[in-house]
Amino acid sequence: MRLEGFPREATLRDGRTVKLRPIQPDDETTLGEFYRDLPEEDRLFLREDVRRPGWAEEFIHTVDFDSIISLVAESQEKIVGNATLYRSRHGWSAHVAELRIAVARQFQRHGLGTALASLLVRHAIALGLEKIVAHVVDNQVGAKRAFEKLGFRQDAVLPGHVKDIRGVTRDLVVMSNDVSHLWEAMAALVSDYSPTMGE
Amino acid sequence: MAKTEIRVGGLGGQGVILCGQIIGRAAAIYSGKHATLIQAFGPEARGSACSAQVTISDDEIGYPYVTHPDILVVMSVDAYAQFAPQLRPGGLLLHEQELIAVDDRLPAGVRALGVPATRFAEELGRRLVLNIVMVGFFAGTTGLLEFGAVERAVRDSVPKGTEDLNLRALRKGHEYGLEVAAVKA
Repeated sequence: MRLEGFPREATLRDGRTVKLRPIQPDDETTLGEFYRDLPEEDRLFLREDVRRPGWAEEFIHTVDFDSIISLVAESQEKIVGNATLYRSRHGWSAHVAELRIAVARQFQRHGLGTALASLLVRHAIALGLEKIVAHVVDNQVGAKRAFEKLGFRQDAVLPGHVKDIRGVTRDLVVMSNDVSHLWEAMAALVSDYSPTMGE
Repeated sequence: MAKTEIRVGGLGGQGVILCGQIIGRAAAIYSGKHATLIQAFGPEARGSACSAQVTISDDEIGYPYVTHPDILVVMSVDAYAQFAPQLRPGGLLLHEQELIAVDDRLPAGVRALGVPATRFAEELGRRLVLNIVMVGFFAGTTGLLEFGAVERAVRDSVPKGTEDLNLRALRKGHEYGLEVAAVKA
């Protein structure tokens, strides 16, 4: 599905503006730089080794805007944030998508993660999905709060599931935004049934 | 346009009534026309036959019942079997083409245009929006209503939060309708 309404501008809490847009093939170099420049403690929470040569190119090739949908935030021609929605097109979790977000340190706590997440949550709903999940580490207080503002709630805690840069074991929090009620409302609307008919 | 009589038919759960409501709302609220809606469905919810009768006119409508529609929109085989013979000769049949095979029971001169609405809705993410694809197809093939008016009627009629998917469904049906109408003109 084509992403509509891009590029768009977002004004952050400190007044800076960034451009938000779908990722594109020629982002390979700047995306690689963005991930390589993340501090080690941030990179540790990522699922892939983003410093590996060729990682950015491989990642961009996987983005098909169907199963994998990815946005970047751009400031002064540098990528300063990346948010990706992953979904399975078949199987028992075809109604679920996972949201992953990374934001450059100097742009954290200014609303950029929320802006990116908000766009992808809306897109997920437009795809008819029922649930969007995100994983955060228990001490990522800002990220948890940002997800909560978007309607996410804590679903589960996996104790001792991750180790931070100092080797400290931490809990992984699974958060989810359950939007199935939207589709239940739609199903009720098209039921072609009225309990008041015939009265 | 003097007066256009429309019947929408299908199974309960396909959103037949909502389809009729949106067409009527687009005409009456957003196009400055007069519109009436008669809805008929059984006490059972899904699976039972149901239909909506919509009349659109530039003038006041004195009689809202539709007996020989100018346009028939059908989403199920049963609805086609029941309502197709009642179409006005020279009228227009809009049908879900992968569910309904058009045969010789159509009155003379009826133009039949099909759309794979169920497949489109499933590809968009939810089979639930099949009826909105049909509304878009109706708008694209008939040209009776401005697309903007239909778009606003859809936005007003669907649950909050589902607008984007419903509008995508509307656009899909509309674009397909424009193509089909151009080819078969």
